[in-house]
Amino acid sequence: MVDLAAGLEHQATAQMSCNSFMSRKAMVKMSDALVKARYSRRAFLSRAGVAAGAAGATYAGFGYRPGKASAASNTLTIGLNGTTQAAAALKQTVGAAFEKAHPGVTVNFMPVQGTDWNEYFAKILTLIASGTPIDATNIATEGLQLFAGQGLAEPLDDYVRRDRSELKGYFQDVHPLLIESAMYQGSLFILPTDFNCGNMYYDTAIFEKHGISRPDSTWTLSDFEAISRKIGKGNSNSVAWDWVVRLWGSWTSWMYANDANLLTEGRWSGGGWMWDTFYKNNPAAKGRKGGWNWGAPTANDPKVVEALQLMIDLKKQGYSSSPDLGGGTTLQGLFASNHIGMTIGGGFWAGGLHNAGMKSGQFDVQFFPKWATQKHLLGDAGYAMFKKSANKDLTFEFLKSLTSASAIGSLVNGNVSTPTRRSMMTASRYGATGPKHWQVFYDTLDKFPNTTPIPAPSYYQAMNNSFITRTTQAMASGQAKKALDALQSDLEKLHKGH
Amino acid sequence: MTTTPQIDAPAATADRVAALKRGGGDRSIPTTRRSRSEERFAWAMITPTVLTVGVFTALPILASFALSFFNYNAITAPHWAGLSNYTALLHDSVARHALLVTLMLTASIVVGQTLIGLALAILVQRRVRWLRPLFRAALFVPLLVSAASISVVMSYVFNDQFGVMNYYLNAIGLPSVAWLSSSGGAFMTIVLVVVWQQLGFTFIVFTAALSAVPEEMLEAAAVDGASGWRRFRHITLPMISPSILFVGTVGVINTLQLFDQPYVLTQGGPGTSTQTMVLTIYQQAFQDLRFGYASTLSVVLFAVVLLATYLQFRLSRRWVFYS
Repeated sequence: MVDLAAGLEHQATAQMSCNSFMSRKAMVKMSDALVKARYSRRAFLSRAGVAAGAAGATYAGFGYRPGKASAASNTLTIGLNGTTQAAAALKQTVGAAFEKAHPGVTVNFMPVQGTDWNEYFAKILTLIASGTPIDATNIATEGLQLFAGQGLAEPLDDYVRRDRSELKGYFQDVHPLLIESAMYQGSLFILPTDFNCGNMYYDTAIFEKHGISRPDSTWTLSDFEAISRKIGKGNSNSVAWDWVVRLWGSWTSWMYANDANLLTEGRWSGGGWMWDTFYKNNPAAKGRKGGWNWGAPTANDPKVVEALQLMIDLKKQGYSSSPDLGGGTTLQGLFASNHIGMTIGGGFWAGGLHNAGMKSGQFDVQFFPKWATQKHLLGDAGYAMFKKSANKDLTFEFLKSLTSASAIGSLVNGNVSTPTRRSMMTASRYGATGPKHWQVFYDTLDKFPNTTPIPAPSYYQAMNNSFITRTTQAMASGQAKKALDALQSDLEKLHKGH
Repeated sequence: MTTTPQIDAPAATADRVAALKRGGGDRSIPTTRRSRSEERFAWAMITPTVLTVGVFTALPILASFALSFFNYNAITAPHWAGLSNYTALLHDSVARHALLVTLMLTASIVVGQTLIGLALAILVQRRVRWLRPLFRAALFVPLLVSAASISVVMSYVFNDQFGVMNYYLNAIGLPSVAWLSSSGGAFMTIVLVVVWQQLGFTFIVFTAALSAVPEEMLEAAAVDGASGWRRFRHITLPMISPSILFVGTVGVINTLQLFDQPYVLTQGGPGTSTQTMVLTIYQQAFQDLRFGYASTLSVVLFAVVLLATYLQFRLSRRWVFYS
């Protein structure tokens, strides 16, 4: 390191004091040759033309062909929100199983990393724009309507109807709420493999230290505030409550609990084919339609303002730190090092906290507290087929293979998310990672049928940007109403443009 | 005394013009086989660079400029928008604010890293020369680490509740600072982080420049009774002024394109207090899917960088001394 810095300094000194290097001599000679070789206009233009042509040809070679269809072949390219290691692991498990069942077929997972879903979608869209052929990609609620609404994703209805007998077992095992949130305008776009509801995680050591017992499943905002007071005002060791600025599981969970939302909640008509085919006698499917239809913005509704004001007040009172930004890794690190009493988390936090060094029993989970209601927010994920895929039948075969328990087990290995199949929610699954009350994850769907996906319309990316800007503005200024008026204005423009 | 051969200048020029019109090179300069071979070798050497710059810099710049006249969302085909993106920019308060924030950050960072880098270089060069290797290594390390990685670490360091910055402030009896959760704090944090990371570069450039200042000139001035300040003001400063111009120019060009630190540390917030132009371009292109408008912002930023650099060079005529 010292040598490198010293070398740079020496080089800079040498150049400044005009000391000659051997290579410098040669360079001077060469540049002299170029300078002395004077050209006529014609000669110059001919050389420039050759250079521009070569550059252009090289550039064209990159293939600037937006939305290019994948070539029909026996190779499937699947976009994965994860690391290279995760892609390699899936290739060895899910990929290998599919390849074995379909001789001659190759499945390639294309790992795309992002700090959050937003960044992941941005990268996937860039890949599509640059002409990279992808047959299917990992998407979550955040991007479902973005991909479906922009005409990028292929509706799976016909394929599902065609293979209904094969998929019957999957649908019977998956809560209809998770299926409805995978629909848009009456069509199904993903076969959900995993989901996460916004539950409340707590640090059992901090609770024990302050003599706090596990909250009841019907606990309320008042109970939450009482616990916060017991943990006490923030000091350098711990705070009662912390959160991440994002649409899934931030102050938005409080907004849901206050029976409010950023956009008017509605449902698309249609979807009857799904409920009639797979959920005819399931009471949980009653009243379900063709997916969530996000209407006019309601971001400055008094109840929404009240929810954000609660966060500002908790911070002012010293019960909360400033919220984290990004994918929540800082928050997870702080929670894992016993700095945070309570925070919002889904099933994916179990694996995350375990990986961050927490052992089973050091944290636990409960439903989110009741305020005006005890409505939870939800996000689920799966794989969407691209309309431009040239291997649609084969791609659907692969998507179908991902619905098996073993495939989902590989996808959520280490409890990095919650499996959509109810049968996979077992004590043994959570034995190593915790939490003790893992049943909370799936029970949220059963006990709170008003559980609603996060508001993620087709303009989700721009909406999320504005949401982050206005939330941080409110937290810094302490003025929830002013910030949410601005958010309302931003969202009205976006809603109008779509 | 030697006599310079007299040349009939107009006649020589006329010959050259005639030669050029014939389509040949300048025949008045003798071309030997050796020099032609050197020329070919030189072309071979620079062609990869010319191609690389052409493909990865020049053509994307041209493509961005062209795209600024289109509406394009990366999903459907681009369609002609004329000057509408440019007129939209005139009414875009967010972009205007981002430009203002970028200029303020640039001024703060460039002034900060130049002054601190120069002060440290003088300290090490003149007072504690033996510590030079240590300073060099300590200040250079952050330059080798990616800005994004440093920003992640800094998000812990500047955490309002648990960060070490507030821990040490509290330890000496000072109150905590809302480093990342207040507008002023976030702006200051970005400036501190960037200045800290770039300090190694300015330190090395200034250390090298100071080494090149002739000792005998400083000693002569001292013998003539010039004070330390006068020696610095009238000898050292003019002698290192090209390096100050270099650090300033590179600093302005780099900081006008600031992205990593605000993206990781603040995401442009709180509110829009650290929203830079490049962050806005990224959000417009890759989150709002407005690639045409993002290209318009890029063109404007390119013009701003060009103008800033031109002004720096133009003004440098008044204060930069080339020995």
